[in-house]
Amino acid sequence: MTADMTLAHTAATAASQAGSYLWLIPFLPLFGFLINGLSGKKLKNNAIVDTLALGSVGVAFLLTLWHFIQLIGLPADGRSIHQSLWTWFDVGGARVLGGLSTYKVEWAYKFDVLSGCMALLVTGAGFLIHLFSTGYMAEERNDGRYYRFMAYLNLFVFSMLNLVLGANIMMMFLGWEGVGLCSYLLIGFYFDKESAAIAGKKAFVTNRIGDFGFMIGFFLIFQIFGSLDYDTLMGSVREISNLPAITLYGHTASPTWWFNLIGCCLFVGAMGKSAQIPLYVWLPDAMAGPTPVSALIHAATMVTSGLYMITRLNFIYVSAPVALAVVLAFGSLTAFVAATMGLAQYDIKKVLAYSTVSQLGFMFMGMGAGAFSAGMFHVFTHAFFKASLFLGSGAVIAACHHEQDMRNMGGLRKYMPITFASMGFATLAINGIFPFSGFFSKDEILWKVFEGWYQHGHYTGPTLNLVAWILGMLGAFCTAFYMTRLIVMTFYGEYRGAGDDPYHLTVPSEAHGHGDAHKHDDHGHDAPAHADHGHDAPVSHGHGPTEVSWRMWLPVAILAGLAVVGGFLNFPESLHRVLPNFLKPVFPAEIFSKWIEPLLYQVAPVHHGEHVPPAIEYGLMFWATVIWAPGAMLLAWIIYKKDPSWSRAKAFVTRFPNLFRWVNAKYYVDEFYEAALIEPLKRFSAQLWSFDTWVVDGMVNGAARTTLVWAELMNWVDEYLIDGAVDLVEYIVHETSGVFRGLQSGRVQHYAFVMFIGFLVFAFWKFLV
Amino acid sequence: MASLNLVLLISFLLFSIGIAGVLIRRNALVILMCVELMLNAANLNFIAFARHSGSVSGQAFALLVMGFAAAEVSVGLALVVALYRKRDTVQVDDINLLKG
Repeated sequence: MTADMTLAHTAATAASQAGSYLWLIPFLPLFGFLINGLSGKKLKNNAIVDTLALGSVGVAFLLTLWHFIQLIGLPADGRSIHQSLWTWFDVGGARVLGGLSTYKVEWAYKFDVLSGCMALLVTGAGFLIHLFSTGYMAEERNDGRYYRFMAYLNLFVFSMLNLVLGANIMMMFLGWEGVGLCSYLLIGFYFDKESAAIAGKKAFVTNRIGDFGFMIGFFLIFQIFGSLDYDTLMGSVREISNLPAITLYGHTASPTWWFNLIGCCLFVGAMGKSAQIPLYVWLPDAMAGPTPVSALIHAATMVTSGLYMITRLNFIYVSAPVALAVVLAFGSLTAFVAATMGLAQYDIKKVLAYSTVSQLGFMFMGMGAGAFSAGMFHVFTHAFFKASLFLGSGAVIAACHHEQDMRNMGGLRKYMPITFASMGFATLAINGIFPFSGFFSKDEILWKVFEGWYQHGHYTGPTLNLVAWILGMLGAFCTAFYMTRLIVMTFYGEYRGAGDDPYHLTVPSEAHGHGDAHKHDDHGHDAPAHADHGHDAPVSHGHGPTEVSWRMWLPVAILAGLAVVGGFLNFPESLHRVLPNFLKPVFPAEIFSKWIEPLLYQVAPVHHGEHVPPAIEYGLMFWATVIWAPGAMLLAWIIYKKDPSWSRAKAFVTRFPNLFRWVNAKYYVDEFYEAALIEPLKRFSAQLWSFDTWVVDGMVNGAARTTLVWAELMNWVDEYLIDGAVDLVEYIVHETSGVFRGLQSGRVQHYAFVMFIGFLVFAFWKFLV
Repeated sequence: MASLNLVLLISFLLFSIGIAGVLIRRNALVILMCVELMLNAANLNFIAFARHSGSVSGQAFALLVMGFAAAEVSVGLALVVALYRKRDTVQVDDINLLKG
């Protein structure tokens, strides 16, 4: 008893000590942003910019790691470090359910397992991607744009950390908007290129649509709960959901009805940020940004904030079956549709972009099935393998002289062995091959969806679960197919690139005076790209691609390594059961789920209907990882590797030209939006514009004209009546004073003379009288 | 012994020269000097009447006037110097700011 108390006390002290540095995690990147952003232009020194940008994120990562270790040392139900910095604003007096609010929005951070894992991901992957950028942005290092890029990246990390570490929904919203802004700035980083500027705008506007839903959602939460703090919300949700009815804005409905509404509104926000149907269209276009941005923002971190939000507010969703069904439906649809779009893309980044959309769909499927920890776990494994794939594609693009079309790649395996190996492992992971991380996370999601159907799940209708599961399986098949296709087209066969070097990015080592050690063959296949020196050397044509510098391959390799082993953080219970005894402590079961579990709200003791026979579970696992995914891979291998001319693929395209065209054009969704929404909106805006020009401006101009006429009148009155009166007074004074004015000659001698005369007169008068 | 009338006549002439100088001359320095002449004419009268009446109080008054004259001339000269610094002239007809 005493020992326990001492332990708890020590833990609490450790927590409070740790808490005092919590604010540094988000603020360090902010300082990096401020210093680099404000003075980077004058510094003209990339070494300082690098040190600040990488240093701030790196130290933030170490701090996060330290906090996380502290956190895991705490008892399971008390794993939360809270730090309130100041009162942001006071919303006391606002009308909420059951009276007036006394709530103050605090600028507060909450570090628990969920936000801690996310923060580790943001700072860890963020650091690696910063490192990659120092190599990838070689061209920008010399033209004065580099500091801007690094400053934006730091600002992004700050915003993302606010999003995940904030202790209330306002803080999350601040980060939510902040990452949207950074995404816009970084997609449009090459804003002199029109497509990039348009893509940035598209991302921003699409996200705003989602943000609108998010805002409505959390406004409703505030109206109902009178608070935005996660802890308070979680504490009062049971009481609220037991109310017989809630009346807001004159509408009376059950708490579940309101929770469904909130859940759907919030999911609209998640759709925008996490690129779900129908708001996913911005993400593929976002690939116009530099590749590190695609890796950091549009694969690993920002796009997962919708998932984070749903997990964070799981207590709403658990009480909102319809909202969960909506999440499941949209998630599974996205997982499948986006995966099919990935099948027919030739741009390497576009394939990865659709893959990201599809994988995000898988995560939402998990959430929709009520398996929040499985969904979140896929967030992390996906971050590892997708960031690795994106950075790898960045390396490939850099090595192929800014070529993004996979038809002009090929054979890079020989030239870029490290990148090939890393991307290969990451691909195995995303395909869901045992024992790589994607297997554990994706299989868990699909299993939970299936289980929900089998048990006549208590969150969603069983039919929906079955449909979602089938869509998910098909999506997984497509994933394995297009990823294998990507690897084969990029790394196998013969190099098909033209080999010219329009951007001077990679130069063979021979061009360098100091590259003696690398001078051994024409291709220089293991020579570093020396991207930093791109402008020093003359352009040479006809050289093949070369492996990139360590700054670029190291992050790819580290992330790929994490993608390989990351799955063991959530080793499934069912597999753990059948492990030999001596292996059981080596692979503890479901660490991650057990971490997350205290943060999840339990409506009631979960009622398991019929228990699924283990045979089905093992069977599905075996099916997914041994037959289904490898089958897809084999198919892609046969089509694209065994047959270097891709005649089967070409035959397929000739046979079904319309099908291919539809898939390649992404089902004309963009065109549909253009015709159905954007064009009418533009026409409507034009109408509004003419209304503005003729009516509003007319009124304004009319008012101006009236004022002008009135002013003319007043001017006349002023000039002739008022000024006339003043002038008259002045005239009278002037005229009457003329007599006396002559006395004031201003000459001292006149005055002396008058004095003298006066004296004489006085003297004579005195004499006479 | 010169008669009182003669002294008074000299004093009158001296005063007239002084007043004429003050009223006619344009140079502030000369005007100051003429003021001194007028003062000294008055002094001469004091002395003459003192001598005539056998009282010393007139002589004492003359000494007092000398003292005052010294003070007056120092203030006057200071004004002239200040004026010169300000306006670059000591001609009084150039100084007519008070002209109505």
